[in-house]
Amino acid sequence: MSLGQSNNQDLNRYHQSKEQIFNESQIIEEARKDPGRFGILYEKYYRQIFVFVFRRVGDEDIAGDIVSDAFLKAMVALPKYEAKGLPFSAWLFRIALNEVNMYYRKTSRQRVVSIEQTNIGEMIAEAGGEKESEENRQLVMKLMSTLSPEDIHFLELRFFEKRAFAEIGEILGITENNAKVRTYRIIDKLKKALDKTST
Amino acid sequence: MSGYKFNIDPRPPKEEKIAEHRDFGKVMHNYKRMTNPLYLTPLYRYRKVFLGLLLVLVVSFLISEYGDEQKEELKKQKQDSIQKADSISKRIKMDNGGH
Repeated sequence: MSLGQSNNQDLNRYHQSKEQIFNESQIIEEARKDPGRFGILYEKYYRQIFVFVFRRVGDEDIAGDIVSDAFLKAMVALPKYEAKGLPFSAWLFRIALNEVNMYYRKTSRQRVVSIEQTNIGEMIAEAGGEKESEENRQLVMKLMSTLSPEDIHFLELRFFEKRAFAEIGEILGITENNAKVRTYRIIDKLKKALDKTST
Repeated sequence: MSGYKFNIDPRPPKEEKIAEHRDFGKVMHNYKRMTNPLYLTPLYRYRKVFLGLLLVLVVSFLISEYGDEQKEELKKQKQDSIQKADSISKRIKMDNGGH
């Protein structure tokens, strides 16, 4: 089983009913008064956050440290958390992503981008390109290597992690519409690059 | 050179590694340390800090005591030397007057 498959299993857990979100908000309220109650949320989301971070650093030990810091920051910032009808996990992912960014700023290491070949094919199709070929795959990766880390976040979240635009917006701290616009702007860039090579 | 390292079809993280890092107790401990800083926590709860602070206080007290003693001694010496100088000048005056 590849990371992509296991990640999709985790993502299915993202879609929660209103009742589940309500129950979660009650646990959050309890955790605000008694930090020990945060353990329930920690146990529930630990694996998802770990996989999310691991995809971006490629090392279990580094991921473990980053995830610990992310949960600690979440606990400290919990009084400021505002529920917006989205699962609590989106907020945790945002904190984890900030921690990943901070890790790369501190260490100036090469960023790790986890990609599944099948998802590259979907990206090519989205950009209106011909069926995936080794040449196109190489081209997409070449193009991705010229993008900013912020643009890479959009592609990772949308195409390699299959997240909804509402969740992408929540993770990146922008609106759902903005997330859509920015993702398709990157896809447009990709389309232009693919068109250039095919002509 | 590209700033990214592409992991194509990466393996999932090892479950035992995930379990190894999963430790809410540690996060809770760090949370308590972060939200209850040293200056808000009774000192006796930090034995090493308490002993260190006590040692610093004792040493600084001894240094100040020693300094005071030295000052007193210097003062005494100064007074003695002034008195001596006075008595010498008096004797000289007396000697001169006698002649």
